Amino acid sequence: MELARKFKEMFSTVPMIGWLLGILVGVLIEFYWGYDYISYYLGLPKIPVLFGALIMLKEPLMIPGAIGYDLIVYVIPVFLVARVTTFATNPLATFLEKLPLIVSVLIHLVFFYFILHLWSGINDYRELVVRLTMVSIILTISINVINGYQGEFSCSHPGFMAIGAYVSSILTLLLFTNDKIFGEALLPAYLGPWFFPIALVLGGFAAAIGSLLVAIPSFKTRGDYLAIISLAFMFIVKSAVENLNAIGGARGMGGQGEFAPLWVIFIWTILAIWIIHNFVTSILGKALNAVRDDEAASESMTVKTRKTKMTAFMFGAFWAGVAGGLFAHVLAYINPGMFGINRLAEILAMVYFGGLNSIIGSIVGAVSINVLGEALRPLELFKWIIIPLILIFVMIFRPYGLISFKEFNVKRMLRAKSKREQGA
Amino acid sequence: MRKVICLLAAVLVLALMFSGSAYSARKKIIRIGVNAPLTGDIPKVGEGSKYAAMMWLEDIEKAGGLEVGGKKYEVELIIEDNESKAESAVKANTKMITQDDVLAIVGPQSSKQAVPAGEVANKYKTVMISPWSTNPNTTLDRPFVFRGCFLDPFQGPVVANFITEEFGFTKAAVLYDVASDYPKGLAEVFKAAWEKKHGAGSVVAYESFTTKDTDFSSQLTKIVKSGAQVLFTPQYYNEVPLIVQQAKDLGWQGPIVGSDSWGSAETVELCGEACYGLFFSSHYAAAGAKGATKAFIDRYADTYGYIPDDVAALTWDALRLVQKAIQDAGDYTGRVEKDRKAVKDALAQIKNFAGITGNMTFTAEGDPIKCAVIVKINDQGEYEFYKSSCP
Amino acid sequence: MESLGELFTYFLQNLINALQRGSFYAVISIGYSMVYGVLMLFNFAHGDIFMVGTYIGFGIATLLLAAFASILPGWTIFIGTVVITMFLASWIGVFVEVAGYRPLRSAPRASAAITGLMIGIIFETGILIMLGAKRLSFPPLMESVTYNIGGVFLTNVKVMIIIISLLLMIALQFFIQKTKWGMAMRAMSYDFLAVPLMGVSINIIAPLTFAIGAGLASVSGILYGQAYPILDPYMGVIIGWKAFVAAILGGRGSIKGAALAGYLLGFIEIFVATIFPSTLRDLIAYSIILLILTYRPRGFFGMEHSTKLRL
Repeated sequence: MELARKFKEMFSTVPMIGWLLGILVGVLIEFYWGYDYISYYLGLPKIPVLFGALIMLKEPLMIPGAIGYDLIVYVIPVFLVARVTTFATNPLATFLEKLPLIVSVLIHLVFFYFILHLWSGINDYRELVVRLTMVSIILTISINVINGYQGEFSCSHPGFMAIGAYVSSILTLLLFTNDKIFGEALLPAYLGPWFFPIALVLGGFAAAIGSLLVAIPSFKTRGDYLAIISLAFMFIVKSAVENLNAIGGARGMGGQGEFAPLWVIFIWTILAIWIIHNFVTSILGKALNAVRDDEAASESMTVKTRKTKMTAFMFGAFWAGVAGGLFAHVLAYINPGMFGINRLAEILAMVYFGGLNSIIGSIVGAVSINVLGEALRPLELFKWIIIPLILIFVMIFRPYGLISFKEFNVKRMLRAKSKREQGA
Repeated sequence: MRKVICLLAAVLVLALMFSGSAYSARKKIIRIGVNAPLTGDIPKVGEGSKYAAMMWLEDIEKAGGLEVGGKKYEVELIIEDNESKAESAVKANTKMITQDDVLAIVGPQSSKQAVPAGEVANKYKTVMISPWSTNPNTTLDRPFVFRGCFLDPFQGPVVANFITEEFGFTKAAVLYDVASDYPKGLAEVFKAAWEKKHGAGSVVAYESFTTKDTDFSSQLTKIVKSGAQVLFTPQYYNEVPLIVQQAKDLGWQGPIVGSDSWGSAETVELCGEACYGLFFSSHYAAAGAKGATKAFIDRYADTYGYIPDDVAALTWDALRLVQKAIQDAGDYTGRVEKDRKAVKDALAQIKNFAGITGNMTFTAEGDPIKCAVIVKINDQGEYEFYKSSCP
Repeated sequence: MESLGELFTYFLQNLINALQRGSFYAVISIGYSMVYGVLMLFNFAHGDIFMVGTYIGFGIATLLLAAFASILPGWTIFIGTVVITMFLASWIGVFVEVAGYRPLRSAPRASAAITGLMIGIIFETGILIMLGAKRLSFPPLMESVTYNIGGVFLTNVKVMIIIISLLLMIALQFFIQKTKWGMAMRAMSYDFLAVPLMGVSINIIAPLTFAIGAGLASVSGILYGQAYPILDPYMGVIIGWKAFVAAILGGRGSIKGAALAGYLLGFIEIFVATIFPSTLRDLIAYSIILLILTYRPRGFFGMEHSTKLRL
């Protein structure tokens, strides 16, 4: 314990930009020497894709090699550089602090994206995992609006996602792709990337309108009964799509153009985090919490409960629709079977694992479930014993999820850290 | 602080010491991927694919490696679970192609995974053979994607013709799973073929249910009432016994005919005597097989304790096709992009490949020209060859 | 034009189909509803408890048939299977309560629901690992005989399923209404804070509730194995969600309501597929449920005081 405390103290002076710099160095090391030297001399067949988890579980002999790789490439450079460069990064952070917050955040984000791009660019599988993880982040935050902030137990999220996925796919397929369902493209393909955000937003709006089917009954029906309504909604959407042969029915729809590269998804994820964060910290967002905690009391305190509930549902559904659209364009294929009970279980696991009422919690939840799901692949069947066990333990020891009822403060996260401040 | 550094250093030194043993890892190995549904809806299909692949690997290992251009190379199988889900199949394919550097992929089996996974394989220019996917979209416009079986538009009319010739019926009923790609597609093709033969309205009942349903009584009651003479149900082996039994319980007396998805040993095991005497179309018939087919069946049954399904046989053929293509390509360079292209070109050139499920030649689309077999479940519960129909 | 008589037999046939299907939903959702009433928890593991119960029933039935088929008459084997399976399966229920729900009693309800979901996944995978991918065929515990009564087809299995399910429900109703334990359960569902103060331990009542629910589910599983004799590890998933729908549709903690809603679910499923094209079955069936809950926001027999729920 004493050791851990000392350790923590030693790195307490590193500002965010310092950590980013450290990670950048680690990624650069991997980029230039990872394949040819480091993994070669450690006896690894390739650069370990998810910190060596896949290799370690498959061939126990490789465990030391993989750990060594992680140490050489990530742990040591990151901590070393982060610590050593504090003399430069702290003044830099102080300088950035003086800029308007938005500029400073943007600089950090661009820097972060650069690192992420470099890291995931090493391997396409890694990139696919990152892209799908970011889609999951949007999804998890959006369900947190309804299940966390608004306090319902909504099971309709796969349905919202399906609506968004289908609407945006229909639009892009119709306009920009020569495909089997809609025939020739109506517009030249170079317009595609420009139109794609509009398709996503329209998909989101369609999901929001669909959510009224759940939101309006929620005026009278609450709690568990609403859970059933939302579950019914999910089945209705799935069954409706299955019956619409015009959009492929159960066969699904494929061949969506590649409109969702890493940077597009990254921008959407940041947008989602930013807008949802602003939403839940706004007056309306506080009203959501009030309605959750006591509907009658909040009504008497002039909260318009109906409007609040409807907004929450439509807002959550909108982002679920956007996530669905991105999901469809990452996989370039959707079918109604993807938006069923399994997806629901996955989304619920992510949001309750991460923590209710917390955007940072949702991010943690989405990232951990996604990365675990991929990293434990070599275990085959046992993966589905380990992941549930982890979730159960988290639920037992942290019943509200890993990080719940906590908001992050961007300003505090980014500011310079000096010894003096620590003492105070 | 010092302790931390010491600890890190110790771990590092240990890592370097131990890793020496695995030092020779980066030699030229031929890696073949298998993308199979080990969990999810149809685990038996995944198991069959996995076992067939393991048998194939055993053969290669016994021969001391795969001989390409006069040199023997070690072969490694990468078997990935696709959880019977489309997105998982896409992830598995991406992982095998970009991380494991596989030369070719065998699988996924069902169309709902093979269609999106084929997109990935084609994008990364890696050969993929889906042994069991009968949906035309799997290989359509994808030069790198092949399949090991016939297509739905071929199978549907075969069954329709067979029923007409064998029984002389004119009124048919169809019961299928509306939420599943394969049964739905085949049901549509069959309906079109049947109505072309017997006129519009000759499919008197066209009923559906949803995946994982176990009660078909209302649909079957409708079918019994419609006066249909024969019931066609292109369902998987887990639903067939239930459909057959419930139909009998509700007073259905006509024959029930199925498609290649019946072709699992489990169909009869689960269904028992109720299924004896029924017909279905398939890729091969296990009972009364000869030559290489029989050798394969016997060996599989000896090792794993049951008669292999058509999936296992088709996977075996697909792997042998990959093997032949690799050998035909002549030169294994170890530069994976180049080798993949060579394998694809060699595979497209293969003529009259003698597989255990019939002879194969690929069309330009990557679909084999193959015969369908009508199989009768005989009174011992074996799959007996009844008739074959070639294009 | 069909004659009225034909239409009537058609209707009767479907009525029987619906009664059979509804019986399963009713019995399984009662177990769900009891847990829900007493602990106010979604027991998302219930579908998989049903699945495990069916597998246990399968094992017991196979053993008994192998050992005693030649000595004892069929009905004794059936009863033996039911009794032993019920006993064993109730321990599964107790296990789920103690391992998954007890540590979470003061946690938000949704967390307990997630735990249940995860326990369910562990059960599914565990069975898959232990028994392999092979599906199992439930051995018939009685010779199936088909009767044709004026065009309506009946089997003795169907009749047995309907009657045993009814008997089970009556027995449970008796237990809940007339015995001391039943009274404790009812009291607990009124107020789970005050009742423990009266000397009724929730640590006894809760496992008991789970045990009864699991026992009922396992009997239902044996009957299910007679009607749909194919066992696979994922068979409980969809049944579990449907029982969840029925339990809540019936109203919080109302056993009568859950049974009724279970039958209703069976009827909706069968008759929607009969009247409308069967491809639209799910669409219409769930729309009906959505409408029912819009107009009866507390289910059939839901109590007024359950509006404010902690989540």
